[in-house]
Order: sequence, then C-alpha cells, then structure tokens
Amino acid sequence: MNSDRRDFLKHAGMGVAVATILGPDLLLTPAEAKTRSVPLKVLSESELATLESAADILLPGASAAGVGYFIDEQLSRDPNDSLLIARYLQVPPPYDGFYKGCVQALNGFARTRHAKIFAQLPVNLRQDLIASLFPEQPADWAGPPSQLAYLCLRSDAVDLVYGTMEGFADLEIPYLAHIEPPSKW
Amino acid sequence: MNSKVDAVIVGAGAVAMVYAARLAEAGKKVLVLESGPARTAEDLYSSQMWARRLKWATPHVDEFGGPDRIHFNMNAGRGFGGAAIHHYGVWPRFDEDDFRLQTKFGRGLDWPISYQDVRPYYERVQQFVGVSGDAAREPWRPPGDDYPLPPVPKFKHAELLERGFSNKGIPVAPMPIAVLTKDYNGRPACIWDGWCDAGCPIGAIANPLMTYYPRAVKAGARFQADSHVTRVLTDKSGSRATGVEYVDAQGQRNRQEANVVLLAAFTVENTRILLNSKDKGLANRSDTLGRYLMVHPAVTVFGLYDEDTQCHFGATGGHLYTARPDKTANPDDVFGARHWEIGLVLKPNDLLGVAMTRPDLHGQALHQFMRIGSKRMAAMAAICEDQPLYDNRILPGEQKDQFGMPQAKVIYQVSPDGRALAEQARQEGLEVIKASGALQAWSGPVAAQHIMGGTIMGKSAEDSVCDGYGITHEIGNLVIGGQSTFPSGSHANTTFTIHALAERTSDLLVDDWGEISS
Repeated sequence: MNSDRRDFLKHAGMGVAVATILGPDLLLTPAEAKTRSVPLKVLSESELATLESAADILLPGASAAGVGYFIDEQLSRDPNDSLLIARYLQVPPPYDGFYKGCVQALNGFARTRHAKIFAQLPVNLRQDLIASLFPEQPADWAGPPSQLAYLCLRSDAVDLVYGTMEGFADLEIPYLAHIEPPSKW
Repeated sequence: MNSKVDAVIVGAGAVAMVYAARLAEAGKKVLVLESGPARTAEDLYSSQMWARRLKWATPHVDEFGGPDRIHFNMNAGRGFGGAAIHHYGVWPRFDEDDFRLQTKFGRGLDWPISYQDVRPYYERVQQFVGVSGDAAREPWRPPGDDYPLPPVPKFKHAELLERGFSNKGIPVAPMPIAVLTKDYNGRPACIWDGWCDAGCPIGAIANPLMTYYPRAVKAGARFQADSHVTRVLTDKSGSRATGVEYVDAQGQRNRQEANVVLLAAFTVENTRILLNSKDKGLANRSDTLGRYLMVHPAVTVFGLYDEDTQCHFGATGGHLYTARPDKTANPDDVFGARHWEIGLVLKPNDLLGVAMTRPDLHGQALHQFMRIGSKRMAAMAAICEDQPLYDNRILPGEQKDQFGMPQAKVIYQVSPDGRALAEQARQEGLEVIKASGALQAWSGPVAAQHIMGGTIMGKSAEDSVCDGYGITHEIGNLVIGGQSTFPSGSHANTTFTIHALAERTSDLLVDDWGEISS
C-alpha cells in the first residue's frame, strides 16, 4: 500500500467532511441525534417509535445506532441526495410515503393479530410478526409489499450498525477508506 | 438561446467522455449536457451508503410493465462519470460470434459490423486506459493484443474458489479488468481496498473522471451539469438535427443549437429522449425504437469457510475469470454464452453486501452471521447472455417527470435462454463452491446487469434505429452511443465495448466531419 497516497486521500476526505460540519446547523451522528432526541423533520414520534421498534427486531442495536433519526433525516432531503437503500429497490421517491405506509401496515398487522400497535407488543410477538413478513407476504398484511418493507428496514438497520467505520471496526475488518465518509450529517 | 456549438453531447458518462475528448482534440467546439451534478474525485467517499448518490433516484422509469425488472437505478449512473463511475472495471471483449448471431446460428440479430471492425479500438482503448490480465491463459478470448498490465493479485477468497474450479476441471484465468496493477499513464496503481463501486477517487479503475475527462477538458470541451435534455430538435423537414432542448438547474427551458447531436445518456434515457422528440419517436420509421431491450441475467453464489478469506480485500468485480463463449455447448439445447467473475469483494452492507446474501436472517442470527460472514465468505457471479426479444421494450409512460417529460415504461421479461443459462450457472456455481471446501454454499436471485438495446444498430431504417457507427438512419447528424445500440448482448460486460465503439465513431466523425455536420 502506498501510505503517502492513503494519507493524502484521508486528508482530502476530512476537508470535505469539515466543510459540511461547519454549516449553519450542528450536525450529529444518528446515534447522537437519538440521544439528544432532536426534533424530527418528517416522521411523527409514533412513526419513529414503530420504525425503531421494527428495526431493532430485524437487527438488535439499530435503534440505539439511531436508525429512526437516520431515516427521518434522509426523508427530509432531495431524493437524489438520499442515502437510503430504498432508491435501489424500486421504491418511488419521495420515500416518506413508503416509510409511513410501512408504519401503518405494521400497526394494522399488529392490531389484526394482537389488538395492539406494533411498538406496544412484547418482544416475542414483535419477533413473530417480523418473521412472517419475508419471504412471503402474509394474507392479513395491508400496505407496501411486506418483503420490501422487511428488506428496506433491515438494510437501514445494517447500514447503521455495520455499514459505518465503527461498524467495520466492530466486525474487526479494516475499513481501508480512500476518502473517509462523513459520520455526521 | 446559447451560442451554437459544433457538437452537443447528451450525458457525461464513459461514452460521452470519449466523444468529448476526441472531438475537442480535433478542434471542435463541444458542449456536454448532464442531467446530474458535476462530480470530482473528492465526492467519492469510500462508503456503500454515500455511493448511492452516484445513481438515479428521480422517478422516471416505471419498471413494472412486464414480469421482470431491469434494475435501472442500480445499473445506471447520474452525474459526471455516469454509470462507469461506479462500475467494477470487468472488461472482457465481445466474442466474434456475438456480432453474427443470425448469420451463424439463425438466432437473434446480427450486428452490421464484425469483431474485426471493433478490434483495433479495443487495442487502442486498453492501451490508453490500462487493462490488467493474462491473455495467454484465456483460451476463450478472441484475437487481440495482450493486456498492457500484469494480472491483479489474488486474495484468499479467490484462491479458495480457484481450488473449486480446479477440482471441477474448469480452467480459470486472471480477470480481464480495467484496474491498474501498476502506475500507468499518470494514474496510480490500485491498493486493493475493494471500494470500486463507491467510485475510485485515485483513478486506479477506469473511472471516466480520470481517463477521458481530463483530455476533454484540456482540449476545451465544456461540461454543464444539472441540464436535463428533454428533446432532440430537428429542422422542418425532420431530416436534420438542429440541437436539443434542456431544462437547467433553475428550471428554465433552453435550446442548444449544434451541428451534430450525440446521445450518450445510457440505455433508457437515449430511448426516452427520442420518444419525446417526435410523435411516435424520432428515428423510428420502423417502430424499432425502444425494442430489443436486454440485460445480462446474473446469479451470484456464495460460500462460507472455516478460515479467514480476506473477502473485503481486492478488486470489487473479482480476481479470476472463466468464460464459455460457445453458445451451443449448453445442456438441454439452451443457447448462449456465460462467464464467471470469481472472488467478488464483500463489504458488510448494501445490496451486494454480506447481509443481503442471507435476507432470511434477522435478529441475533443476523448478528452472528455478520460476524462470521464478513471474514469467512467468498462470492462469484455468473453473467449470462440474454436474447434480443422484439417485445421487450421501452415505451412512453403515463406519468410525467418534473420536467414534464413522460417517464419511461419498461416491459421486460428475461429471455427463456437467458434464464435457463442463469439457472444452469447456479447449479454449476454451487458445485464449484462445494468443491472448494466451503462449509456452506448458497445462491441469490437472478438479477439484471448491464441494460442494453432500445436504439439498436442495423443495416437499414427498416429494422433498426442507427448504423454501425451509431448514426441514425433517418437523421445523418444524430449519433447514438453506448450499449443502447447493441442488437445482441453477448455475455461480456459492456463498458470496454462501448469505449471501443465510441472511439470508432469518433474516428469517423473527425474524418468525415464536413459531410456529417452539414
């Protein structure tokens, strides 16, 4: 490896990141946004709770990593600037309709089966509901395709938990950035 | 009205960069209009999440008109560099038989040109861009000069898979890949960090921003971002292009006059612009515009091992390669060729990442899999030939985009031969993985790579849109570039061939500019 080149590129990346951070708003990592309970931009508190609850079943730790705040922030952006994997999965932008539709569908699904909204169910029942979304759509699911909801939320969770430099470190694999991505946005 | 230019080029991807460089170097006044943003190397963060910005998000393609998807948003690119900014650099040549399907096999369509017509341009492009490999170890390779650069290094995951192929008696060779194994033509060698598809900011891969773009800029070509072309404009007779209409970043509709119009906006957009340029489409006397849409049906297989595989290191598109160009050598009379890209780099997340290889897992089981899979997997992908089908097509959609332009509606079904090839490859791949000593072997769904067709080349306006140079049969100063012009798809990845064809067309334009432009 050419260490001079790596150092130069890391430095170049930091330049880009700092320029972003010095904007008018204080920028936070998604986890910091959750810790500080920053005001939401697109989602309601109850929608956030449902998405975090589902993501945490799909990959425990996703909620603490700030997956709900990450989704909320991305939904506030021009779709072309969005980092959501939904853009790869044939979800038509803007993506807020899809995520809100997922929330409604999850809650409707939970009510039909257990007479409570999703986030209020005990963990074992939430696990059962999530497990039933993929690979086949359950007959009593109403909303965006359940497989799509499952894959998008699962990927969002994986992005936040394992797709960052911290996530790579947790997996004990080298990140090897040419240009390090901003961690705050 | 902007001042008239010699050539206006629509799109700023790989083909556009070749055109811009060659025409500007020939002294032409060149303007490139790109729908997406200007990009520089500093935009290319090493991150699967941030790399999503390199692709389209705006709603302009409805893929649900047929049973299968072309995965436009995953395949295409947006902004300077286009799709090639996130491509993997796998650069095999098309086979000689790919150009004569109908003549030799009575199947599909012939190209109006032969391999020998394209070969000199493969040599020219590989010499300028730099391609790594070992031609002597590729018995399937058509005639051609050896690669200018030595092969990519093998990491453990590729070595394991090589063992599987060896045990099955299938020869493999180093990957023919446009990734530099040594410093070359002012660009540095790869450091094998596996971030090819996030956009390579050092230009070790054939990132157009680092290859033809500097030449184009140096020669005076002008690039204009955030300029979405909606129509090709013609004179009253309809037989000459006069320029293009585009919407700029402020939402203003503009006209750009030019002596020659070159469409290089990727497969779907080339067709969509022509469909929007005239009732029933421009250059569409034969109703061929939009038809013969193709992809490469691809299937990926995975292995899990009891040792560290270094699967996060290397060139993303793989380290080893093996091809079966004989289209008639498949079981059950399945027609077509295919190849394996062996030793793909696996990062934890994203559509092609470790987590998505087992979408069924969630909860603690997913955590456990991630901890093992991120270090102990190997992957390889079979890329298969699709057949050109008349009814696979792009049509104007019912919905309009933000510019008032009808979205594209795609009707696509993988050809029966293409699907059968992919399924045969899946079985072979699983056997190879098992023969490599893997603890587990599994595979993913058939997916679409390398969207082709829609503005196909041919001998006349009666059955095609353009000629072998991409010049439309009906409008002599309207040129189409890229894989939308392919009348058949091969199994080979497309980026090398579109570079070669763009160089070939550029030669013609430079040599015959007076005739073509007037």
